[in-house]
Amino acid sequence: MVKVMVYPPTSMILSDLVERMGHEALVISKEVRKKINTPGLDSPPLNITPEDTKRGLRYAAVDVPSGVRGRMALIGPMIEMADAAIMVQGGGCNLGCAGCERTNELAGFLLRTKKIPILEMRYPEDETEAKWFVRKIREFLEGLE
Amino acid sequence: MRVTKFVVTSQDSEVLPSDIAQMIYGSGHDVDVKETCFGVMIDGEEKEIDEVVKGIRAMDPSGIFIKDRGFPPGDPRRCRGHRGGGARPGFYMIEYESKILPLISKGLAADAGGDEEEPPTEKAEWLSSDKLEAIIKKEFS
Amino acid sequence: MIRIAQLSCGPEYSGIQGELEKAAETVGATLIFPEVDLEDIMDVKKRFGFEVASGDLNLAMARATRIVENPDVADAVFVTTCFRCAEGAIVRSEIRKYIHENSRLPVLSYSFTERTGADTLLTRMEALVTTAKYKGLLSRERQTGLTAGIDSGSTTTKSVVMRDNEIIGTGWVPTHNVIESAEKAYDAALEAAGVKREEIEGLGMTGYGRSLAGKHFNARLIQEEITVNSKGAVFLADAQKGNATVIDIGGMDNKAISVQDGIPGTFTMGGICAGASGRFLELTARRLGVDITELGKLAMKGDHTKVPMNSYCIVFGTQSLVNSLSAGKSREDVAMAACHSVAEQVFDQQLQELDVKEPVIMVGGTALIEGLPRAMEELLGLKIIVPEYAQYIGSVGASLLVSGLVED
Repeated sequence: MVKVMVYPPTSMILSDLVERMGHEALVISKEVRKKINTPGLDSPPLNITPEDTKRGLRYAAVDVPSGVRGRMALIGPMIEMADAAIMVQGGGCNLGCAGCERTNELAGFLLRTKKIPILEMRYPEDETEAKWFVRKIREFLEGLE
Repeated sequence: MRVTKFVVTSQDSEVLPSDIAQMIYGSGHDVDVKETCFGVMIDGEEKEIDEVVKGIRAMDPSGIFIKDRGFPPGDPRRCRGHRGGGARPGFYMIEYESKILPLISKGLAADAGGDEEEPPTEKAEWLSSDKLEAIIKKEFS
Repeated sequence: MIRIAQLSCGPEYSGIQGELEKAAETVGATLIFPEVDLEDIMDVKKRFGFEVASGDLNLAMARATRIVENPDVADAVFVTTCFRCAEGAIVRSEIRKYIHENSRLPVLSYSFTERTGADTLLTRMEALVTTAKYKGLLSRERQTGLTAGIDSGSTTTKSVVMRDNEIIGTGWVPTHNVIESAEKAYDAALEAAGVKREEIEGLGMTGYGRSLAGKHFNARLIQEEITVNSKGAVFLADAQKGNATVIDIGGMDNKAISVQDGIPGTFTMGGICAGASGRFLELTARRLGVDITELGKLAMKGDHTKVPMNSYCIVFGTQSLVNSLSAGKSREDVAMAACHSVAEQVFDQQLQELDVKEPVIMVGGTALIEGLPRAMEELLGLKIIVPEYAQYIGSVGASLLVSGLVED
């Protein structure tokens, strides 16, 4: 079983495909679950505190907007854990944790430079593309050690 | 650890959210089930949830999709009733991806059937400047 | 409960959403998130005319279109994005303009960092709530009866006594201790007016020390300075109908307010850098060896282009002035350069966020430093009005507004 980071890190389709193939999908909701279950933290709704934006400094400098650093405090550790990644672009409806495009660009860059197996696709727009999309992802996941 | 998952049915799946709920109730697993507009939300200990997920997938292998959720159902920190109305951002992402689930379902079914699909044709190349020039001349002549 | 629609990108991930909620709750408001459909977000380019790469900003614009279509969903709008995000800044500004032009809802625009706390936002939120809640009171144009106002500012405390729409006494003292200074300023105004404290029918309080001094005097009205000052400004400048822009450069922070029919529409409040404040001009006056009341006259004889000012910072800015003096530049030129530096900062950082509409009224003690309104006139290319009693603006506004409460 390989830890596969999916991007957008909120994608239901990608995390489902990864897990039905028997791998572990690294998704943001699992990070959020850890945050909200941390005793003593009270910074609703996500329990992200200004301390997290400092943790985000590991990935982006202090002159980068706080929202990027706070998101990176969630996404950065996932990138560090990832053994492989599937990134999907297009669609135009990335919100919340994936709602800042600068964060998405930085996360994509960090994944690409990590030298792990990566599959980059676009959301399918018709049946032919969808069949190809599923097949490519299956082949990619099967090829992971 | 307790975990929460969204179970979303593709629009063209014949499985209804109520069927999934019935199956879970009948399975005897200690899992909370809440029906939503996309399918159901399930909440319980990780081991129980993993077992239940296997059963749910078997109901329609290419028509049911499952995703983790950070917050348990109705958590006041996220529930819109407690947080000034308006859906949380993740709701729109699920709605967006739900719209293309019928395509993914077809992809999964075809892949399971061993279809050797040809790759989609690449998008058209840029028009050559000669062709563009010819079009302009024709249009403005 | 006043409903403030939050249109934002980033506060949850900057760890400050709780602070925004706390600030809203403190001023009797609740933050709401207008309901939109997925289609509203996907079609934001058609609906709003703008689409950017970041989804949360598109969601904010989609919510703005919903508010314009159904203005009943909110009483006021708070647009906020991360500081230093260009994409966010552009969207924030366009949403603010869009709401301003297409609805009657008051808008507050703010860029936050992870250090933004509820305290920073309180005055701004209070002004937003007051504007939404007390439209009737704010549309009041005449002062009636015998009332007084005290403006407990960070540098000076001002007071006026008014009778039947006329100012009959004023008092102005430096702020040392909030209550003592307020007592002194009030006594001075009462003495000048020739009335006793017990004759005053209503006392209004504004400025930094408003809560503390307001309790001490048991003031009938305790109100933040944004709504009060804009009211005072349009009253003194006789610009109560139609549009107006109010610029108030204070000892510690600056307000730029666009006003319609005497009611603040959008406003910005700056206060991070002392280099853009009255305090910098005080330092300059001290360094030039003149009283602050003489600095303006000195500046009017100077030419700011002869003195290089490379920094907006109060420390480095002062250093530039000192260097210029030792390089043989005239005191007049240095005085004008200081005025220009302050005006430029307000122009660059605050007035760009407003639709500056005439008349432009400059108020507060700094408006009396003639070089400052002159520098602002040059930057805006517009005539600036400095009304009589400009330094008493807050106390006049408070006295005028409290007369409305007395009458009720």
